Amino acid sequence: MFPKYIILFLSCLLLLSGCKTGKRELSDLALVMAVGLDKGEKEGTIKVTTQIARPADARGSTGAPSGQTGDPIWSASAEGETIFQAIRNLSTFSSRRVFWAHNLIIVINEDLAKEGISDIIDFFTRNPELRMRTWVVVTPNPANQVVSTMTGLEVVPGEALDKLFRYTPISVQAPRTQMIDLQSAYLNESTQPILARLHFVKRGVSNKKEGQAGAYNQVELAGAGIFREDKLVGTLKPVEVRGMIPFIEPIDTGVHILSCPDDKSKKMTVELKNQKFSVTPSFQNNKPSFKISYQTTGSVVEAACPFALEERDKVRALEKMIEKEKKKDFEKIVKKAQIEFKSDFLELGKVFNNKYPVEWRKIGPSWETIFPTVAVEVHTKATINDTVLLKKQTKPGSVKN
Amino acid sequence: MKVQISNGIFMALIINMVYAKAIGLTQGSIAREVGGDMWISTLFSTIQGCLMMLLTVYLIRKTPSLNIIEQSEVLLGKWFGKIISLLLFFFFVGAAGAVFTTFVYHLKDYFLPEAPTFLFILAGMVIAVFALYHGIEVIGRMALIGVFSILMLNILIIIGSMSDFDIKELLPIFDAGLVPDVWASRHNNTDWAMATLMAAMILPKVKENKTWSKSGAYGILLGGAFVVLWPILESGVLSAEVAGQYIISCMQMARSAEIGLFIHRYEMIMIAFFALSSITQIIMTFYCATISVQRIFGIKKFNRTIIPVSFVLSAFGYWVVLDHHRAISYIESYWVLLAMSISVGVPIILLLLGLLFKKKLKNANAENLGT
Repeated sequence: MFPKYIILFLSCLLLLSGCKTGKRELSDLALVMAVGLDKGEKEGTIKVTTQIARPADARGSTGAPSGQTGDPIWSASAEGETIFQAIRNLSTFSSRRVFWAHNLIIVINEDLAKEGISDIIDFFTRNPELRMRTWVVVTPNPANQVVSTMTGLEVVPGEALDKLFRYTPISVQAPRTQMIDLQSAYLNESTQPILARLHFVKRGVSNKKEGQAGAYNQVELAGAGIFREDKLVGTLKPVEVRGMIPFIEPIDTGVHILSCPDDKSKKMTVELKNQKFSVTPSFQNNKPSFKISYQTTGSVVEAACPFALEERDKVRALEKMIEKEKKKDFEKIVKKAQIEFKSDFLELGKVFNNKYPVEWRKIGPSWETIFPTVAVEVHTKATINDTVLLKKQTKPGSVKN
Repeated sequence: MKVQISNGIFMALIINMVYAKAIGLTQGSIAREVGGDMWISTLFSTIQGCLMMLLTVYLIRKTPSLNIIEQSEVLLGKWFGKIISLLLFFFFVGAAGAVFTTFVYHLKDYFLPEAPTFLFILAGMVIAVFALYHGIEVIGRMALIGVFSILMLNILIIIGSMSDFDIKELLPIFDAGLVPDVWASRHNNTDWAMATLMAAMILPKVKENKTWSKSGAYGILLGGAFVVLWPILESGVLSAEVAGQYIISCMQMARSAEIGLFIHRYEMIMIAFFALSSITQIIMTFYCATISVQRIFGIKKFNRTIIPVSFVLSAFGYWVVLDHHRAISYIESYWVLLAMSISVGVPIILLLLGLLFKKKLKNANAENLGT
């Protein structure tokens, strides 16, 4: 009985030494909040920039500099022939071990993305410290600057960029692309990847120093980067993203700005709710085709001209305008995908395969050549049935009905 | 007095035996073969498992007080019993390779990549040895907690991944074709094979022999239901292409789960629930291998066999796990061949022999009733 317990005790002692193996003290880690990837200065190299939180100065909601450095983040860059080597090179001057588990965003410079991002996809999906829910974006600006730029209300810029994406469904300025989406699209036989796009704008406003309004950079959502295989082949403007989002993401509410039916110089804003979007494939005469159907109900949330629901002609005119604009949005994005980029980032191939798996086996291998010639028909339907709180028109009292 | 376990514990043991490897390693293998049809293959496998469990129960019921090895001794004598024992020992040694791969890769690759492999093997072995000394009742009670853990793990993964679930990713159904889907189910068949042969070893210890069939079939069906959730989620959230990229696809699922904005990165909690099921798999593999060795060498005391058998199984597990390529090629080819041939072959041989030597079985039953 006695030796049995001694053996058990010794075994536990041996096993508990596992706490020592691979153990990392929190104070020994440099917590990466964002990472930027640019082309290195030397040909064939990659530059990795990490935005590392400085815990002592990134406290609370203000980042009061209790650490006395004044900066809540520390950004460091290193180059290498591979991402892994560049990261290892960071350790030559970082006083702490770089820890990736809390990384929120990966920013890739467009020049690098044009050459291919397959190594980036591989590295960030292979490493056990990294996560699939990390945002991935492209930028025309240097990625090392984007990740070290203070943006918005957050103390840590990486956190600001993370939150930027949480509210994109409202702004509809960029797709919400995470590593899991990028990997999935990259591995899919017909779908091509897209990534959100960020760029700098002069938007910072100082309330302390006069004349500094708009003097310093802020990061802003700026459309999407379109890929073919792993190479960036083009970009979409934020206004074009509006037509693309329903193809790839569940759609929430949207905003549409229209000219007043009676006065083109004045504007009205309609909030689009209950948006229903569907892509229906068909296969006739050995040719695939698609029917896009879009339905929405709208709510007039702002009107610079007198407007009430009783004016049925105006209501119908607005509905027609929305239908026309939406149709144009979808047709434009389809044309861009087919003709300009020759890239099926709209997942049409996937949709066709879901309904016609047998036919897909025939056309799938040559989808790249078939896709630009596929016929796409768009149908839109809009109904305005709400003016929020107001029943009557908003107009001066001197004007009689 | 002979140790007896309840039918509920028997079911819990089956569920634990089916679960741990099936949700991760197995799904990765199936995804690489049939993509989005991985959940269909898992369903096919569950049906096959259910039928094999019913066959196992039918066999053991012929001599309710004897396990599969003892029944084979009755049919064709001691040496035939030793051959069957040897085959079953080989099966459980092979199973140790698969279950240790599951256990080690989940913990080492995702949580402690710098820890030496032997540490995980040693942990599994020490726990298994400790459990074996305490006997089947204690293991069974642990398996009941294991079922609760499985349930919790499934609930957590559903809550954390439903917001990203896209049912369209499951389409088109039967994309790979019916025959490839059925063929791919062989990977999952190795998981229930462990459960059916375990049942063949422990059924005489299960109290209510009238409800053996029900308990066994329900065990496989419930285990299958707990497992099939994973390929559905893996397809709908990760996509089949991504699931097929990974050795342990369920861990990628777990690492991508988020409950709202506040609760994410909770795979540590999930792995704690998972570990109990994985450990139960290891323990029962050791337990059944120990019984086989006992019968091969005619050792009276079960406890004397535990340590040497544990070393053999752990050594094999260590050798398999040490090289990722070896582990995966072993699990996807050699283990399938070994597991299927023994788990289907042995019961069918005994079924045929049982038909030929009905009298022997009757006499053995009468003897046992007499004693």
